Amino acid sequence: MADVKLTIDGREVEVPRGTTVIQAARKLGTDVPHYCWHPGLKVAGNCRICLVEVEGMPTVQISCNLEVREGMVVHTESAKAKQARRDVMELLLINHPLDCPICDQAGECKLQEYSFEFGSDGSRFQFPKVHKPKHVRFSEKVTFDAERCILCTRCVRFLDEVAGRDELDIVNRGDRNEIAVARGAELTSPYQMNIVDICPVGALTSTDFRFKSRVWFLKQTRTVCPSCSRGCNVTAGARWNRLLRLVPAENQAVNRWWMCDDGRLAIGHVGADDRLGAPLVRKDGALVETTWDEALRAAADGLRAAGANLLALVSARLTNEELFLARRILDALGTPHRDVKPRAWERDELLRTGDGNPNAEGARILGIAPRAGGRGLAAWGGSAIGAAFLCGEDLDDRPELLDALAKASFVLVLDSRETATVKRVATVVLPGVTSFEKDGSFTNVDGRVQRLLPVVSAPGDARPDWRVLGELGALLGCGAAPRSADEALRALAAAEPAFAGLSLGRLGALGREAAREAAR
Amino acid sequence: MPLAPRLMKDAPPIGRRQTHDEYVAAGGYDALQKALGMKPEEITQQVLEAGVRGRGGAGFPAGRKWTFVPKNTGKPVYLACNADESEPGCFKDRQIMERVPHLLIEGCVIACRAIGAQSAFIYCRGEYPHSVRALEEALAEARAAGKVGNDVLGSGWRCDVWVHKGAGAYICGEETGLLSSIEGGRGYPRIKPPFPAVEGLWGCPTIINNVETLANVPVIVRDGVAAFKAAGDDDTTGTRLVGISGHVERPGHVEIDPAKTTIRELIEVHAGGVWKGRKLKAVIPGGSSVPVLPASAIDVPFTYGAVRNAGSLAGAAGVIVMDETTCMVDALVNLMQFYHHESCGQCTPCREGTGWLEKLVTRIWKGEGAARDIDLLDSVADTIGGAQAGKTICFLADSAVMPTKSFLKHFRADFVRAVEEGGSPVWRARAGQGARAAAGAHG
Ligand SMILES: Cc1cc2nc3c(=O)[nH]c(=O)nc-3n(C[C@H](O)[C@H](O)[C@H](O)COP(=O)(O)O)c2cc1C
Ligand code: SF4
Ligand code: SF4
Ligand code: SF4
Repeated sequence: MADVKLTIDGREVEVPRGTTVIQAARKLGTDVPHYCWHPGLKVAGNCRICLVEVEGMPTVQISCNLEVREGMVVHTESAKAKQARRDVMELLLINHPLDCPICDQAGECKLQEYSFEFGSDGSRFQFPKVHKPKHVRFSEKVTFDAERCILCTRCVRFLDEVAGRDELDIVNRGDRNEIAVARGAELTSPYQMNIVDICPVGALTSTDFRFKSRVWFLKQTRTVCPSCSRGCNVTAGARWNRLLRLVPAENQAVNRWWMCDDGRLAIGHVGADDRLGAPLVRKDGALVETTWDEALRAAADGLRAAGANLLALVSARLTNEELFLARRILDALGTPHRDVKPRAWERDELLRTGDGNPNAEGARILGIAPRAGGRGLAAWGGSAIGAAFLCGEDLDDRPELLDALAKASFVLVLDSRETATVKRVATVVLPGVTSFEKDGSFTNVDGRVQRLLPVVSAPGDARPDWRVLGELGALLGCGAAPRSADEALRALAAAEPAFAGLSLGRLGALGREAAREAAR
Repeated sequence: MPLAPRLMKDAPPIGRRQTHDEYVAAGGYDALQKALGMKPEEITQQVLEAGVRGRGGAGFPAGRKWTFVPKNTGKPVYLACNADESEPGCFKDRQIMERVPHLLIEGCVIACRAIGAQSAFIYCRGEYPHSVRALEEALAEARAAGKVGNDVLGSGWRCDVWVHKGAGAYICGEETGLLSSIEGGRGYPRIKPPFPAVEGLWGCPTIINNVETLANVPVIVRDGVAAFKAAGDDDTTGTRLVGISGHVERPGHVEIDPAKTTIRELIEVHAGGVWKGRKLKAVIPGGSSVPVLPASAIDVPFTYGAVRNAGSLAGAAGVIVMDETTCMVDALVNLMQFYHHESCGQCTPCREGTGWLEKLVTRIWKGEGAARDIDLLDSVADTIGGAQAGKTICFLADSAVMPTKSFLKHFRADFVRAVEEGGSPVWRARAGQGARAAAGAHG
């Protein structure tokens, strides 16, 4: 489509035909204030705060629904535009409860932001406010406060347009309007928590996160959801070294602006009570704490002794770098018995891929699968197991395999939690960390290599898995241990054409595509 | 001030409906026969030349609107007839629907023919059960007589007309709120663009016209453009059906030549003058949403242009008359209760602002206001909208603002008095009664 040239606040900009003024302004770095407009939803035009003045048009115009035209001259900061915005701001606040001190949205509330920017410091409204229901349960995940709601309908539109479940609507009329679920019903969408994120005010809150922390105290880190192979980009919020919440981070190539609720809520493992904080070795039938040196030496000895007979189960929850370092070890041992444990996850049309291994694609590219004559996981039950390496995995859900492993002479487990597997069958335990505690990368279902960043620090003496696998490899003669995840990725890039040229820095915030064809 | 009955020429008295056969005997459905022999564009051209402006309030030329329907979209085209008539002071469309419904049905079918539609929906005010019944009976007759249905007048062309009952919301008379309501949704007006002529009902091109606008179509097609323009002037062609209510001796409706009839004549001649021998204080000429006029401004013909020049709008021709005993604060309280109650609440200024206006004027009314509240009322009105404001999705907000601003402009003294004397006379009388009743109860 042909481009259209227009002027916004005295600056020229060229955008494709069909673009709206609010989008064209964004291209210039001008954020026209808005509540109801969201780039991922249809235009509603109801909040009226994005009003701008356009030369030659008698009335102010909402920039969210105004298509650019050649030669258009737009003013977002003229007296008329500013007055219109201030007027809307004043009206939005007359019935608002102004309960910021106890509101979860405080600190990331657009009502606060715009009020601060261009609101007035007093109110001309001296009447009792309209009262509406507060702390309404929309579901076990979402709580609603009708008094704080500015009726922008973002939540209604999200559920209808994106999540495909028309579960919210408006009831009553005028300033009695309320967002509501059908009588007797609750929200069921597996994506419903996105409405908490896109609600511009504190009307919708996460029942899970409610009152846990003021958002300005959160340390916010951009990373990747580890619950399925979509690899939704997230911003993780932590305080007191505790991971408190995940919210989606925009990535148009992956998750746009959204994430699923199951992924969002799957953070309990990070602060779980059964986290491993020290290496363990089994002595006289019991696991006892030991030093890293001793544990690594015992691990290396056991692996070396098993050699080509070692059965290895490598987790596709490990990073690309870790899978590469694990593969190096297995190659050195010469074992063909390698496999990945499949992990089921719900599948749907929107984001959820059905594959609960966040790095399934990385494992595929790196060829973590039985080699010729190798015993895959499906064949572990067939005959006795001599030695095994559960690399980032457990078999808690496969008691019959644990029975077989209990009879093995050597079982090395690298994991972040003291699972039933660890307790029952491990002879050596190396404490690794979760994906929220380390640097590295995952390759998502579409072959996009995305960066993980540490959000919290791991308990005790646990070490990032890349470091453990690097040091273990060094003891087995695989070459020097990488000093960082980045160094590991560079080594991977040098060895594996699909990752050629990549480094953690080069992944940037949005990740890069792995050259997948090269790997086939 | 000659009467100019045209739409209502053969109408039976109030309470009785013209039957299909009576309508045909008076030349009814001849226009449809004629239209079937014309190209659709020719019909549109005639309506365009006739210059008939929309009778629903905004006065947009009907023929022009019809030309906005895009050609060859592959989508069906719809006609929606706005029979919601919920503007306070308006009751003219009802005369057509209840007494000469076939005129409207014929107008709908001809309009469909012109715009390329095969379905028309008449969205009728829910509180008009008589209108609904009259329309449905007339439609049954028209179907039986082959004027509506699968084979209109044996031409092989199909055209259906449906009556859709509203459920009592004023906002469903706003043309896009009406579309949302027909679709079964909440009666929320829609942002424009897209304009309904391009994307209306179910995303398809849709023309929305008022009852009286469509009732004029058979007249234009039957009698020709010149005859149609014999009434009115260049600005307002054809006749207008006007409803007159309030403090007059004989409230009712009348069909007039707008160029030859002044507002004063409407009141003094057609409605028997201000009641009880009292003097006139104020007139709202076009339904409650337009600016009020003082008694001094009514010597103007009832054309769009003349009423506009006088400072108001002919709108939907609902003339509301207020005599000298009226306290304008009372009247404004009543109007603001209405707009607050009827705001759909979709957009911020109207949702929040109409309530604020009502609260402010009520405070003045009850004598709890201060002098500065009068200015505040005026200023809050500006905050919400006004003519050429464009701050809201539809004109309901502006419809609350226009009376407010004009009441304050022409009748500020009433507001000042309410502040100074502890409330409007009506409020004080009521409060006094209350006090007496209370005293009585305790004494
Ligand atoms: C709040 C509001 C209520 C309205 N109610 C009516 C109504 O009851 N009947 C009507 O014909 N037009 C009504 N209108 C005007 C319609 O939006 C529209 O302009 C009209 O139906 C178009 O038909 P016309 O061009 O034939 O007049 C209303 C407008 C607004 C803003
Ligand atoms: S709950 Fe939030 S997102 Fe939904 S309409 Fe209200 S303010 Fe908007
Ligand atoms: S879709 Fe997958 S990656 Fe995205 S949030 Fe859900 S589980 Fe996480
Ligand atoms: S102006 Fe009022 S009635 Fe019209 S859409 Fe906005 S809130 Fe609804």
